[in-house]
Amino acid sequence: MILGRVTFGLLAVALFSGLALAPFWSAGRALESLETLNGATPWGFFLRGVHAFSAWGFLLGTLAHLGEVLWKRTESRLRPAVWWRSVALLPVAVLALLGGFLMRGDAEAQAALAVWREVSSSVPIAGRALAALLLGLPGADLAPVSLHHAGTFTLLAWLLTAEHGGTLLPDLRSTVLAALASFAAAGLFPVSLGPPVAPDGALLLGPWYLLGLQGALLDLPVAAGWLLPLALLLAVGLVRHADGRARAALLALAAAWGAGYLALTLRLLLAAR
Amino acid sequence: MFRAQALLLALLLALAGLLGALGRERQRAAALGRAPDRAGGKVERCVTCHVRPEEDPGGAHARAAVGCSSCHLGNPFAFDKARAHAGMEPEPGALRSVARTCGRSGCHVREAARVATSLMARASGIVSVNRWAFGEVSEPRGTATMVDLLAKEERTPAEDHLAKLCAGCHLHALRASRDDAIHGNGSGCSACHVARRLPGAVPRPHPSVDAHVTDDRCLGCHSRSGRIALTYEGLYEIEPAQAAALGTAATTLHDGRPAGHAEADVHRRAGLSCVDCHLHTDLMGDGTRHEHSESQVEIACEACHGPARDGGETTWAEVRDPITRDLLRQQGETRPPGERVRLGRHGTPVWNLRPSEGGWSTLRKRQGVALATRPTPADANHRLPGHERLTCSACHSAWAPTCSTCHTRYDAEGAQWDFAKAAETPGRWVEASEGYDARPPALAVRPDGRIAPAIPGMVMDLDAAAGSGPRVSRRLYASLDPHSTGKKARDCASCHLSSWALGLGTGTLSFESGAASFSPASPATDDARLAVDGWTLLDAPSPGIGTRVGLRSLDAAELRRALAVSACLPCHAKATDLVWRDFAGSKARLARGGTRCGFRSAGSPRPSARAEGAGLVGLKDIR
Repeated sequence: MILGRVTFGLLAVALFSGLALAPFWSAGRALESLETLNGATPWGFFLRGVHAFSAWGFLLGTLAHLGEVLWKRTESRLRPAVWWRSVALLPVAVLALLGGFLMRGDAEAQAALAVWREVSSSVPIAGRALAALLLGLPGADLAPVSLHHAGTFTLLAWLLTAEHGGTLLPDLRSTVLAALASFAAAGLFPVSLGPPVAPDGALLLGPWYLLGLQGALLDLPVAAGWLLPLALLLAVGLVRHADGRARAALLALAAAWGAGYLALTLRLLLAAR
Repeated sequence: MFRAQALLLALLLALAGLLGALGRERQRAAALGRAPDRAGGKVERCVTCHVRPEEDPGGAHARAAVGCSSCHLGNPFAFDKARAHAGMEPEPGALRSVARTCGRSGCHVREAARVATSLMARASGIVSVNRWAFGEVSEPRGTATMVDLLAKEERTPAEDHLAKLCAGCHLHALRASRDDAIHGNGSGCSACHVARRLPGAVPRPHPSVDAHVTDDRCLGCHSRSGRIALTYEGLYEIEPAQAAALGTAATTLHDGRPAGHAEADVHRRAGLSCVDCHLHTDLMGDGTRHEHSESQVEIACEACHGPARDGGETTWAEVRDPITRDLLRQQGETRPPGERVRLGRHGTPVWNLRPSEGGWSTLRKRQGVALATRPTPADANHRLPGHERLTCSACHSAWAPTCSTCHTRYDAEGAQWDFAKAAETPGRWVEASEGYDARPPALAVRPDGRIAPAIPGMVMDLDAAAGSGPRVSRRLYASLDPHSTGKKARDCASCHLSSWALGLGTGTLSFESGAASFSPASPATDDARLAVDGWTLLDAPSPGIGTRVGLRSLDAAELRRALAVSACLPCHAKATDLVWRDFAGSKARLARGGTRCGFRSAGSPRPSARAEGAGLVGLKDIR
């Protein structure tokens, strides 16, 4: 499937552009280093744009490819274990991207970091340890976040994608296509940074792909931050094991989840305006 | 085929993107500043553009020391103006953002937290008294603040009155909606700590910001209401017609109001500014939500002039107040742990008062000049029987500004600046009076029982009927320290023989057959026995009330006691006179043994050249 291959290509572009960005980023002076990259480094803003768009493209491609698989009922081509690991690619991709968002170090990123620390801490028993492991200790710099972003989650995403696609590397054509699309987007749409300090009374927004969850957390307990995604993943994962009405019910559940998520995203955006 | 088309499309889009990026890259390179981009040991790209010397506040807040973003927020890392100025605070010190500006970690955290609770920010006293005067609450007290009031959509007449006449001074009022008189200073911390931009002064792009609060910054707000800042300077507000009558003797205040001259406070003449006496807790609060200023203000005459109250003196080893320690450090001063220090009423050290040979000396904070501080003498004047309840200011306040009558009317057809809305809104409060005056203050009994100066605070006719408010007459005096302290106290006659001082108002005191009577110069419309500017009657069943719970005029018994000595004053004008050592005994001896006392029983007491010119006059002299 071409969508899957292009998605792999986008991951490759994100990986290599991320490697190119790494020397310019500082864990202790995150926002300052990104402002310097944007404002004082030749073509720095473009490189950052390529990284951002390729990463977003990878997430969107993963989602679209998942939809394509479910639509075409081709999930059964994968062995159950591979299918579940492929489903796991979705949260891995989100966590990789979230790490990138947190690495901005601006007011929005700081707020997202605080929220994500609460969400992680709300996991029973291991919550606090998990939060410390993924995000570092409160008040510390962003080094743990960056390591998981560039290391753990990127490596996992690569391995899971490779296993899913049955190939360790994306093909050249798809990669070139992904790179050109990323260049186009980065050149045409500058990627902004947020303010260093939140303006009074402002509703700070998290990354666009988590706005629905942010909207849900306005009304629901913080544990909904991991319970709701887990519910979706279980529904999608179980599709591989269901037929007929059960499959339809699981897909309906996932669709309802997605629709609700979009509605919450819209509500939050309207509130922010 | 599809792949080739997709690749071609992607290639074209990528070219377009690269062209767009090339343009932005050129702009970025051209706009890149070449000036240094560090200040205060950190990245501060503001200074790549803001390089002019006049953009530097200097002093402790110099650009090179703290940069710009420490106070103004914004984004110090940004390379373009829009991003750099995003989230900027144009008015640092404003209480809306003070926790992130002046009160940020490492700067003035304690002070910023206190200021928000201080009366200058909350103005709860003004709010409660005004509501009470309008009949909206049962007592002149409460915790409602000006901020609460200004946030309301639906306002009562009293709240509207405050929003349009009074709210321009409280520290929450932003620069764009402050009173004309203090416009330019900014709000919150800046109201006091930023140099004033007086009319006619050459505007500086960035005013200085410092801990030396000059008197002109206090004047903006405290030249209203009790007008203590004007009085301290020896100025009192007058009406334009009065100014015309005074001619060149009149002057014009910083905001255009006319004023007359009177004697300045003795402390002012000694070169002391407001902050030389007032402690940091007087001004910025102590973290307690006081209802009225007299409970927030710690400094009292006794702190410097003694005798110190119980617990009013300690050693520096016992001082824990961190702000005072900071102030000393800023001044580059140290205090030996064993050195004595006097304390304000709530225990804050008067750090600029130091023990010296034979007493204490006061340091003028700004100039570092030490002045010998005269202790309260333990002489006959200060031990006069019957005067134990008098505050220092009751005798030493030479004069106070008075506005004896006030007519406040609501004009529904007019419009007026609304400090809550920062715009002119319908409805106007119109104030009129019969003129201002400067005269020795009247006397009041404070809630704590002590006798202190008072002036007509709200002797007024209020007509708010056009604004659905009341139509009432109020006869309220306010107790205050006028800040017109004189080295020489007012003489006995200025209280005991003055209908004004005794709260009866302007008129004539007469004594017939040993009994006093009062004839008002201008009778009140509601009671002909009462002076229009009076507070009470000689035989009032209950004393006049004031702007505080428990504040009152002298009652009938106190008036009788005060007037009982009036017959003797023409001859026995000095406190050292033996007759005052045991006044009751003196009277008894007089009754038993006859007298040559010049005072008979007809009319006012006669002036006595002998009493004024002689030194010691005793009963033996009139027997």
